[in-house]
This record gives sequence, structure tokens and C-alpha cells, in this order.
Amino acid sequence: MSTVIDPVALTVVDNYLTSCCRDMGVTMMTTAYSPIFNESLDFSCVIFDPRGNMLAQAEFCPSQIGTIKFTVDWTIEELGPDGFDEGDIVIHDDPYRGSGHVPEHMLLKPVFWEGALVAFVANVAHMSEVGAKTPGGLSGDATEIYQEGLLLPPVKIKRRGEDVDDIWKIILSNHRTPRVTLGDFRAMIGSLDMAERRIHALIADYGLDFVQAAADELMAIAERRMRAEIEAIPDGTYTFEDAIEDDGITDRDYPIKLTLTIDGGEVIADFTGSAPQAVGPVNAIYAVTASAIYNAFLHLTDPTIPRNEGCYRPFTIIAPPGTIVNCSFPAPVAGGNTETSPRLTDMIFGALQHAIPDRIAASCGGTSSPFLFGGIDPRTGEPYAHFHFEGVGWGGRRGLDGNSMVVTINGNCRNTPVEVFETRYPAFRIDSYRLVPDSGGPGEFRGGLGGERIFTVTVPEVTVSALLNRMKTEPWGVLGGGEGAVGGLWVRRAGTAEWRTFVEEFGTMSPSKFSGVTLRDGDQVRILMPGGGGYGDPRLRDPESVRCDVAEGFVSADAARAVYGLESYAGEA
Amino acid sequence: MASRRLCLGVDARLDSDGSVVKPVDEDEVRALCRTIRDSGAEAVAICLLFSYVSTEHEEQVKRIFEEELGDLPVSVSHEVAPIWREYERSSTTIADAYLRPLLGRYVQSLDSSLRSAGMTREWTLMKSNGGAMLSGAAADAPIQTVMSGPAGGMTATEHVARALGEPNVLTLDMGGTSADVGILVNGKQRHTTEYEIEWGLPAAVPLIDIKSIGAGGGSIAWVDAGGFLRVGPRSAGAEPGPICYGRGGTEPTVTDANLLLGRLDPEYFLNGRMRLDASSVTEAMEALGEPLGLGALELAASIVEIANENMASAIKMVSLERGHDPRRFALLAFGGAGPLHAASVARVLGIPRVIVPQHPGVFSALGLLLADIRVDKVWTQAFRSNDVDAELVNRQFGRITERAVAELRQEGYAGEPEIRRAINMRYFGQNYEHEVEIEGGELDEAALERAFRGFDRLHAERYGYRIEGEVIELVSFKVTVIGRRPHLDLARARASTRRERSTRDVYVRGQGFVEAAVVHRSALEPGEHVEGPAVIEEEGSTSFLEPGMTVRRTAEGPLVIETGMVA
Repeated sequence: MSTVIDPVALTVVDNYLTSCCRDMGVTMMTTAYSPIFNESLDFSCVIFDPRGNMLAQAEFCPSQIGTIKFTVDWTIEELGPDGFDEGDIVIHDDPYRGSGHVPEHMLLKPVFWEGALVAFVANVAHMSEVGAKTPGGLSGDATEIYQEGLLLPPVKIKRRGEDVDDIWKIILSNHRTPRVTLGDFRAMIGSLDMAERRIHALIADYGLDFVQAAADELMAIAERRMRAEIEAIPDGTYTFEDAIEDDGITDRDYPIKLTLTIDGGEVIADFTGSAPQAVGPVNAIYAVTASAIYNAFLHLTDPTIPRNEGCYRPFTIIAPPGTIVNCSFPAPVAGGNTETSPRLTDMIFGALQHAIPDRIAASCGGTSSPFLFGGIDPRTGEPYAHFHFEGVGWGGRRGLDGNSMVVTINGNCRNTPVEVFETRYPAFRIDSYRLVPDSGGPGEFRGGLGGERIFTVTVPEVTVSALLNRMKTEPWGVLGGGEGAVGGLWVRRAGTAEWRTFVEEFGTMSPSKFSGVTLRDGDQVRILMPGGGGYGDPRLRDPESVRCDVAEGFVSADAARAVYGLESYAGEA
Repeated sequence: MASRRLCLGVDARLDSDGSVVKPVDEDEVRALCRTIRDSGAEAVAICLLFSYVSTEHEEQVKRIFEEELGDLPVSVSHEVAPIWREYERSSTTIADAYLRPLLGRYVQSLDSSLRSAGMTREWTLMKSNGGAMLSGAAADAPIQTVMSGPAGGMTATEHVARALGEPNVLTLDMGGTSADVGILVNGKQRHTTEYEIEWGLPAAVPLIDIKSIGAGGGSIAWVDAGGFLRVGPRSAGAEPGPICYGRGGTEPTVTDANLLLGRLDPEYFLNGRMRLDASSVTEAMEALGEPLGLGALELAASIVEIANENMASAIKMVSLERGHDPRRFALLAFGGAGPLHAASVARVLGIPRVIVPQHPGVFSALGLLLADIRVDKVWTQAFRSNDVDAELVNRQFGRITERAVAELRQEGYAGEPEIRRAINMRYFGQNYEHEVEIEGGELDEAALERAFRGFDRLHAERYGYRIEGEVIELVSFKVTVIGRRPHLDLARARASTRRERSTRDVYVRGQGFVEAAVVHRSALEPGEHVEGPAVIEEEGSTSFLEPGMTVRRTAEGPLVIETGMVA
């Protein structure tokens, strides 16, 4: 190794910074107010150097740990390298300035040592209410970014340690649930303050020069190791195509085309030929597209590579402006980050299925199933809003079946316990929450199962919105594996027997993407989450695994015979 | 632990207030009992939604199970872990049910062996929360015994800390395969209710806050794909063990490194019952060190340093991450390998003082003999600070205190119990609560107000901020009743004596081999000092002091090492 710093000390610095990011997350989890923070963990915590290079991150939300790099870059450029004072905290959520989508707010704190800027600590988190056209944001029929919530360019909510009351007032008077917003922001700030103290302690222990040299070396090592991993993938140009199925406004497919070039230690992901940007909110901002590609390769490569800026250096991402993978102002973008992002990550796996069959997986369910709702809590008179999301089946991979009902590949979030959900939100009671048999794509290694949830409205009225995908196009299998089942969304009005789509019942433009529908006491909603694609020919599946699947209720006896060819299966379960 | 086919639904439902949405259908539950019987299940766990608010449905189902299933062991979630989050509560209850038949058989067979050996008195088991319970009670609450080993170590720690007047102590228990670290704040153990037991399922029972990492004497050193030297978590265990055991081990371990550096005496390992052989260690170290550009000794020093860093990180997890500055703590070292590494770990963390208790090699077992009998009772009911039914709270506190004291009496305790009360609180909106200890006596408005301000203070200490004027949510109410056990006199314990003092060369990074004093612990007079570099040997453990450090044998017995770090 060419390193001049001893490897032991490097390990220590890397672990210290990563554990600092984890601690930031624990602080946020234990102190935040909204369940998408404290139960779902829809946030990320990151440390940067003063030039905007990412030094460390922890295992949180993958779509954010890629986009936050762009958010921080923009912030440094807009405020200037001298634009920060000790004790400042900057807030930022504007997608056209490098954020992923409006609900994701970045808070950033410059860290000083003996008067000099030495690092930034930042967290980015999905706020449950952002003052969009409908409660919870992610309005499925938005046509402009202005409908997606209060846009905040990088501005200071704390200046030299003091709250900037004017900015707080603007934010808190624009969000429907100001008390929750304040609780969540206080948690984020507490986490940044803790990280600042930890970085001070590190520098006090090891000296600034050493820490900076170690940070540079760690980035060089990460880059070297990532390039070595890419070199192990056969050189070549690989293609794959998938689509987003509608945009909430127009019922048409939005094809996405990927031409992936592996050239030694370089990766070029080229999306030329993809559909023009949509009118509705399924557009990915460039940062989201880039983040999805990083996410795919972090899945494909050695997990012990330090997760810093160096990991991202081998990648070039070409996404023509004005397309669904790099939309232009002021197109709406909310679903780009929740729906289009997993599609892009999966497409890398699809493209490389023959090149590195041992590493890739089939498509995951590929939707966050965003279901938003809000109203006034009749118990307290206080407004509430929630971004509810669901798990999906994950794709099968060599040697292993896909996970069932785990939040999609860009999220890494946890589901919300029924007991927390019903305690915090009076609007719904959950009647059913279960895995759906046969929803996992058949394969030698089966796709994970999707699920079903049925809610009943328990308040006089509640406003709901949705932004789902994979309700028409199945999650694909690879190398002979079959498709996972599609998802769905239905409503059953109180006193009626029939499940109907929101188009049939409310005349929404799309069955999967809409906003501001009013449901009333006793109405029911049924969400179906897609399964994952299968890997390899199902007829090659170990018969014992098929028998076990039937016994456990993952696969029906009929499918065991018809799809897996288990002729002798008599259905003894 | 329970496959999906063995998870059965009951079509009954409570809402978040505990009101009945759909009552329990007795016929349905009786039909389930047939399925359970036919499945050949050895134990049953019951977990229904919102049972932490109302126990009504679970009690009904339990009663039917008892009628229908006879002696089949049943674990019920509101008894095992009355907390919210159905998944965590279920997995804890399932773990309890899983252990129930095992622990029942274990207690029974040990009991009959003890009786046939003529030992007829009641005996106790260690609980994971650091208390002890009668063997019969343990069989009824098996989940309470998870992690009881480390709990023994912490209990012994409390004892030593009290004797030395050290209120703030971090512990390092390093054995052959792993190191456990714990913390004592103001003389008290920290408990957590979130713990992932070994098979990765969250268990929600109060446990001592312990971090375990794969750093022990047998931990193997290796080089990862990126050329980083790593130590553990893989361990050579006792068989084949480190290379120097001469039982076929080929991969360098932490013990091998210590031997090469002169910190272990090959002739006096395990009180001389085992002879260590350094002959093939050097070669293996050289092979591993070559790609790193390190010679055998430098590599050995690096292995020890990395193991020390890993332990320091674990200590940070239980200290820094909980808002405690490790430099304000003393580090207590035990386990066979703890005293060998503790002084260096302390230096890494800036900890000024290391304590090596008597009998460090069997210290955790000692804790079992010292543990007080302890009963915890929790009452769960949510209130907001602007609307607390103080009369109900006082009544319920009285009720659970009475029950806890009654259990303590059942466990044979006749003395005056110590009673601690706490309320779990959070800002209204937060989902994680913090235990705030409260004063004794009737809780009136003023006392509640003091408790709320106590929460504000605790939140500010832990997270750096409080939210002025925010509504506080009261989540649960807890009583801990402790029956103190008689003092155990350690002075009467038998110890080996070796009087000789010698010197040996030990390797120190940057200085090469330097001459170190080697003293047997039993040769040290009370109050005597030894300057580092030094090695203090004793039965079952060895302490190492770096140059510049000093060790003193206290009048009470433990050794205290001054690391030269200033708090």
C-alpha cells in the first residue's frame, strides 16, 4: 500500500466518523416527533469536509445519501466558502438546488476548529408535512414544484447559535402541523450539535492535520477499492429498459432507457432516449438519478469499502435535461425520489444480469406505495398529517429468496407498527395486514412476497392522496425467473360491498396517483404491495424449498404444481 | 423461532384506548387449541394488539388455553413485556415461550441434584436486570434470565465501586472470544429495554446496558480486501485456540500477540497449568504482516492496538453515545484478558484510572453471590402532563408496589425493602421514552411538576436541548423493589501466593523492548506502588502497565492503575 498514514489509525478515524453518523441517527430516532422519523427512520446523517466531499455516512436511507452530496455542494456554492459562521445551521429543501424532493429537508452545520471551517455535519430527513397542496405532500396529481410544498433555498435557521425567528415563523406558518415540524427540526439540530462535539473530540485527540490527512486517504482508498470492484465486472456495453406506468395526469407509459458501459474502473450510465419529463410528479431530478446509480453499485460491491466521496468518483451519469430522469424547472418531482429511483437502481441489476449473475437480484416491488393522509384529530383538535409507505417483495438472487415486505431498495426504512400508527393517527384502524401468497415471482430463488393492508376510516372525514407504481407493470424476473405480482389500490365506501378504484369512485385521473380525496367514517382502503421478481428457472427450485413454501403459505399448492412442476405435491399442508 | 405456519390469528380487536372493537370468540379460540395440540407445539406465546393498554383479551385467551391445553407452557405478552410495538412485544413473548420448557427442565434438574447433594435451601438465579430471583420464579419468567452472565459482572462491579467510593465506573470484561462493556453512573447500573438477543430479534425486557463485541484473547487477526488489518470478530476459541496453545491453531490471535510482546509469561498462563509456546507464533505473524509492511513485533503491537481500539469504541457506545464523558469514569477490568488490555484502552479514551478487582478471572460469577433480590413492576397508561389523573396514578403506584413487595416476600426476603419509583416520559410526539426517577410519597401537583422538570433536565443533558412549555407524555409507571442481601466477605476467599519479583523485557511501540517489573499480586503490600512498564501476575489473569503508568494496591484489595491521563 502506498499510504503514508498507518492503517490502524485510518481504521480508527473511519470507524469514528461512521459511528458518529450512526449516533446522529439514534439521536434523531429517539427525539423526533413524526413516525416517519422515529419509526420508519426516513433520514440520513452525513459528514463532509469543507470542500463538500462526503467523509462518512451511516446505514440509513440510500436515496438520500447520494442526493445529499448535491444538496451540500449547492449550499456551499450558493453561500460561498466564507458564508458560514460557527453556530450557524442552514436549512434547504429545494430540488432545483440539489435536494431530492421537497419533503426532504437538509439541515447543515459548519464545524469550526480554532476559528477555521474544518467540516460540515448534515442530516436530511423526510418531513411528514411540508405545506404542499394536500396534507403530507407527495400530491399525486401535482403539475408544478410549487404544489409540492414550501421551497426553502439554503437559508440559516440559526445564526451564530441563535434561532433566526423570521425563518422559523415562515416555515411554521406554512406547514399544517407546526408542532411536529418543530419537534422534528429540534431533533435534527440536536443530532448536528452532538456530531459537532464528536468531531471536536476527534480533532482534540488526533490533531487537525492528522484527521484531514486521514480523511483524504480514506477517500483515496474508497475510490481505489471501488474501481477495483468495477474492474472485476466484464467490460462491455449493457442495455436495459423499463417504464414508469403513469404520471397521475396522463395514462401512458414513460419508458426509461439505460445504456451502461463498464470500461475498466469506470462506469458510464447513459439514459439518452428516455421519455421526456412528465407533467405529473414522477420526474427524477438529476441528483436522484445519480443517487440511484450509486445505490445500485453499493449493492453490487464489497460492503466493507468506506462509504465516502471516493466511492462515487468512478461514475459518470448522462441524463439529458428535460427527460424523466433529469427534469427541468418547474416540473414536479415528488415521486421521482420514491418511485423512479428504485426503478433506476433495479435497471442496473437487469442490465448486468448476464455479466455478474452471482451479484445481481431481480426487480424489487419498486414502489414506496406512498399513501398520504391528514386532517384534524377529533380527540385534540390538532392537525395531523402522515406519509404512510409500505414494504414490497424484493427480487430473488443467487442462493437466496427475496425478502418479503421490506421497504423498497431506495428507502431502507422500517414499517410503522400498527400500535404506533393507530395511537398517533386517529383516522384509520388497520383491519388486515398480511403477506399475499403467490405474489413473489417464481424462480429457482423466489421473489419476496408483497402484502395487503386494509384500513377503515374511524373519523368523520380524512383527506387522502396517493402516488403508487407497479400497479400495471410487473416487477421483472431475471435469468428465467418469473414476474412478481403487481400492486393495487381500492376503496370501499361505508355501507357498500364492492371494492372500486379511485377512478371509478372519485373520478381521479389515475388509479394510483391523486390527491385531496375526502374519505368518511366507515370507508375502507385496500393497498396491495407488489412482490419481487424471481431469479432463475422455477423448475430448478429445490423441491424441499417449494414444499416448505407451501407449508408456510408463501406459495399455493396449485402454483407448486403448475409453476414449480412439483407433480407429486399432494397438498399435505 | 416460530415458523409462519405456527403463527395463528385470533379475530378479536381492541383499539388504541383499549376499547373492544371486536370481542374474543370463545369457540374460535377453542378451535385454535385443537390446531395447537395437533401441531405438537411445546409452548405457546400469546400476543394481541394493544394488550399493553388493556389485558382483557389476552387474559381471556390465556384462560381458554389453560382449560384446553392443560400443562402446555403459555407466555402472555402483557405479562412478559407490557410495551407498545407489536413486533418487539411478540418476538419477546415468543423468546420467552421458547425458553420456558428449557428453563423449567433446567431448574427442576438442578434443584433435584442440589437436594440429593444435601443442599436443601432456596437458591436464586441471576436476572438480566442485575437482580436475583428464586429458582421457581425464574422458571415462570424465563426471558428475565437472558444476559444474566454479564449482569453478574455488573453486580460485582457495583460492590467494588461502593467499596472504593467510585460512583462512575466503566467496565471491561474481556474473555476468550468477546469483550463486554458496561457502565455505572452515580453508582447505578444503566438499564435498557431494547436489546437484540443473539439471533437478531429484538427483546424488550429491561436489561443491563451492555455492549458485546468480538474482541477476546482468541480473536483472530486478518487483513481485509482493502488491506486493512482487522481483529475479530472471528475467534479461535479454546479449540484449537491461539497458535501458542499448540493445539493446531494457525491464525495469529490477540493472545499470541500479547505473548510475543512479552506481556504474558509462557510459564504462568492459567496459574502455570498451561505452558504457552511462542515458537510458531513469530512465523505466522511475519506472514500476516508482510503485505502490510510490518514485522512480527510491529504487527503484534498493531493487533493489540486494534483490539484496544475496538474495545474503546464499544466503551464509547455505552458512554459517549449516552452522553457520558468516559474521562470522568474509572475503568474496571475483569475477565481473563481484561486487566491485560484495560490500561491501554483507558489511555486511548483518556481515562485516568483503572481498577483491577480481586479475582478478576471469576468476577462475574462473584456477582451472582452478591446480587440483591429485585422485583420490577410496570403499569402502562398514557397521560399528558396537562391532564394527569393523579389519584389513579397514586392508586396504581400503590397497587404495583404492594404486588412487588409481596413477590419479594414470596422469594423469602424478610428485611426492609428499598423501593424506587420512576415514570417513563417523552415530549408529546416523541416515540422513545426516558425513565425519570421520582420522589417517594403521595404524588401531588407540585411533585408531578418537579418530575416534569426532571424530564426537561434529563433531555437537555442527553440531547443538548429541552422544549420549553411542551406537553410531556407519561407512558408508564415503574416500581423497583430491592431486597438487600447480607454482605459477602471476600477476605476469606482462598488465593494462591507467590512471593517472587522479577523482570522481563516487554515490547512497547516506539521504544522496542524495555525492561518491565514482574510482580505477583499476592506479593504486593497494601499501599505499595509499582511503576510501569510492569506486569502484575495472578491466578487467572495478568495486568499490564505501559511506561509512565503506576499501580497501587489499595487497602481494600483491588489494584488501582494511574494511567497518567488527566480528566
